[in-house]
Amino acid sequence: MTRRILFLVFLTGSFISLGQQVVNHQLIARNLGEKEMHDGVVLRTFGFAQSFSEQPPIPGPTLYANEGDSVVLDLFNVSQGAPHTIHLHGLDVNQENDGVPHLSFEVHHMEHGYYYFVAPHPGTYFYHCHVVSTIHVQAGMYGVFIVKPADGSNITWDGGYPYSQEKLYTMSEMDPLWHEDSVMEHDHDTTQTIHEVSIPEYHPSYFLVNGQSEQQLLEPDIALQTAKEEVSFLRMANIGYLANRVTFPEELNAKIISTDGRPIVNPEISDTLWISPGERYGVLIEPIVDLIDSIEISYVNMNTLTSEEIQYVPVLVSGTNGLNEALIKRTFELYPNPSADQFYIKSGGEPYDGIKIYDAMGRLVHVENHNYMDTEIMDINMDVAKGIYTVEILLNRAILDTLKWINR
Amino acid sequence: MVFLKASAILFLCITTAFNSFSGQISDTIYINSGTLQTFNGSSLPYKCFNSSSVFDKRNAILSYSISDTVSLTVFNNDIIPHRISSIELGIESGLIPPGMNETVSIHSATSGTFIYHDSENYPNNKILGLAGMIVFRNNSSASFYWNLKELDTLWINDISSNNQLSSEYNPKFFLINGNHNPDIIGDSSARIVGNVGDTIHIHIANTGNSIHSIHFHGYHLKVEQSSEHPGHEGRIKDTFPINPMEVLTLELVPHQSGEYPVHDHNLIAVTGANIYPNGMFLTMLIEP
Repeated sequence: MTRRILFLVFLTGSFISLGQQVVNHQLIARNLGEKEMHDGVVLRTFGFAQSFSEQPPIPGPTLYANEGDSVVLDLFNVSQGAPHTIHLHGLDVNQENDGVPHLSFEVHHMEHGYYYFVAPHPGTYFYHCHVVSTIHVQAGMYGVFIVKPADGSNITWDGGYPYSQEKLYTMSEMDPLWHEDSVMEHDHDTTQTIHEVSIPEYHPSYFLVNGQSEQQLLEPDIALQTAKEEVSFLRMANIGYLANRVTFPEELNAKIISTDGRPIVNPEISDTLWISPGERYGVLIEPIVDLIDSIEISYVNMNTLTSEEIQYVPVLVSGTNGLNEALIKRTFELYPNPSADQFYIKSGGEPYDGIKIYDAMGRLVHVENHNYMDTEIMDINMDVAKGIYTVEILLNRAILDTLKWINR
Repeated sequence: MVFLKASAILFLCITTAFNSFSGQISDTIYINSGTLQTFNGSSLPYKCFNSSSVFDKRNAILSYSISDTVSLTVFNNDIIPHRISSIELGIESGLIPPGMNETVSIHSATSGTFIYHDSENYPNNKILGLAGMIVFRNNSSASFYWNLKELDTLWINDISSNNQLSSEYNPKFFLINGNHNPDIIGDSSARIVGNVGDTIHIHIANTGNSIHSIHFHGYHLKVEQSSEHPGHEGRIKDTFPINPMEVLTLELVPHQSGEYPVHDHNLIAVTGANIYPNGMFLTMLIEP
């Protein structure tokens, strides 16, 4: 409490007079979270929530401030287990607010801990727990802190690049074995700086983008939807324990302009970006053609240097908003998605009599014609190349719906 | 400030061959074999290039001025033949039989960090420990040296016994200059100590097989040299990936005082034998 009073007195005398904001955030540390994965498996998680009525999301809530704002971050620990902290990764705060237990402070059950700092250069940063961080980060105690320019505008930094939309992609992984009680309920002697804990070998089976994977990535909030000649700013961050090799469709004209919250003096035009654990990058996208494709994110083992998994973030570029409708929940359902050379179409109540499948270049690659009533399921089998396909649902040659399918 | 000056003098002394008199100099290192104690108490066969004929788990850090031309003599105290090589410096010795020595000439027109290693039976002898760092400097700023290496005990035992690998690479121990946390802090060539406003250089060589991703708390640093990604030089970052056999030279000018961690953000690498924080984790101490 003393720290808080001193800081508020400090703020009153300095920052507020400069016209900058005091930004308050609260994170509630929980250790009994549950997260349903793409295959229905439910894992126990730790995490940061903003209310008691919600499961702690993974990643945690994205926090914002403008450059020069004075930030007060209240960590309220309601977890009954080990203490927690907030490490402000990349924000270069002073030692007292750095969130490393034995060098600053830790927050115990039913306690509040307050972190104070002035938002630095506009950019993308992390926050995460630094108590036995190997376990607590894997458990889900991480999120992204975004610093916008002082005026909060859609410009990368003062004197930087303007953009019309920004998207945040945070990569991580989950190993179910690490989410068992035997690992998560570790002992923690707060008088010690070295801790003996159970740390299994790391063999993740879920490879996440914004906490989602596989067919979950088709949701509209994940997909990159933009228009020709529209500039999008992608914030890409890796908080996992594998490296990411990100491949952008060439037509997006990806330009890597910033890293770790600082501009890159000589931006790199490249369709490939490596992101190691703890790194963040800013990428400008400015497509000049219509496009249906995906951003490919490979998860690379840091020891064997081999890819363990690939996830696909859909990309839709159109001069109109029409294609964006393709990602809205609909009557017809295609599953599983992604899949390999086979999927099913289920109608939610409407009859249909055929489908047409187009590849990313718009070429017709498959046609099926049947008379299906509303409760019947169409089983589609074919042999086509990996990629993203457009599936048209037809009735009397009229298009009832358009779905996206990723063939893996 | 007095403390800093003392530290800077110490760094000059601990580097095995820093010579303030530029020109033609001679230096000697020894290939020694011994054992490495891991955190869980097991012993592994290990080999190093050392500055004396006594085995030390830390490979010698060779630091010279860019105006130096160095005659480096390598004595092989091991029972099998070895070589000394540096791809970037264009060094490749002849085969050095047990009990024999070989002299190579080393020079660099530019400052920077370089790896030297045993190219015989590559990469197995390197995996057994035979890889170190050469630094050519053009300034007298405080410098610190990190030789990153991880240990897969199965691989080391396989190579030692029959030169055959029976498993995928899966290291369990992660070392800086042969040490893990908390012992790294006792290595004055590794632990960054300085003052606000100092110019500090950190020379990092990854002589292991894994990618590492080194994150600094409290500060952003500038990439002065990247052997694998020269286009990244000049970038200001807080997290620095480094690939196997890559070197980085980073410049730190601290703007604030405090004790801050620096560690691999592949958080598996800050553990070892179920201990946290172990592995590649240390703190730096910046005084006002």
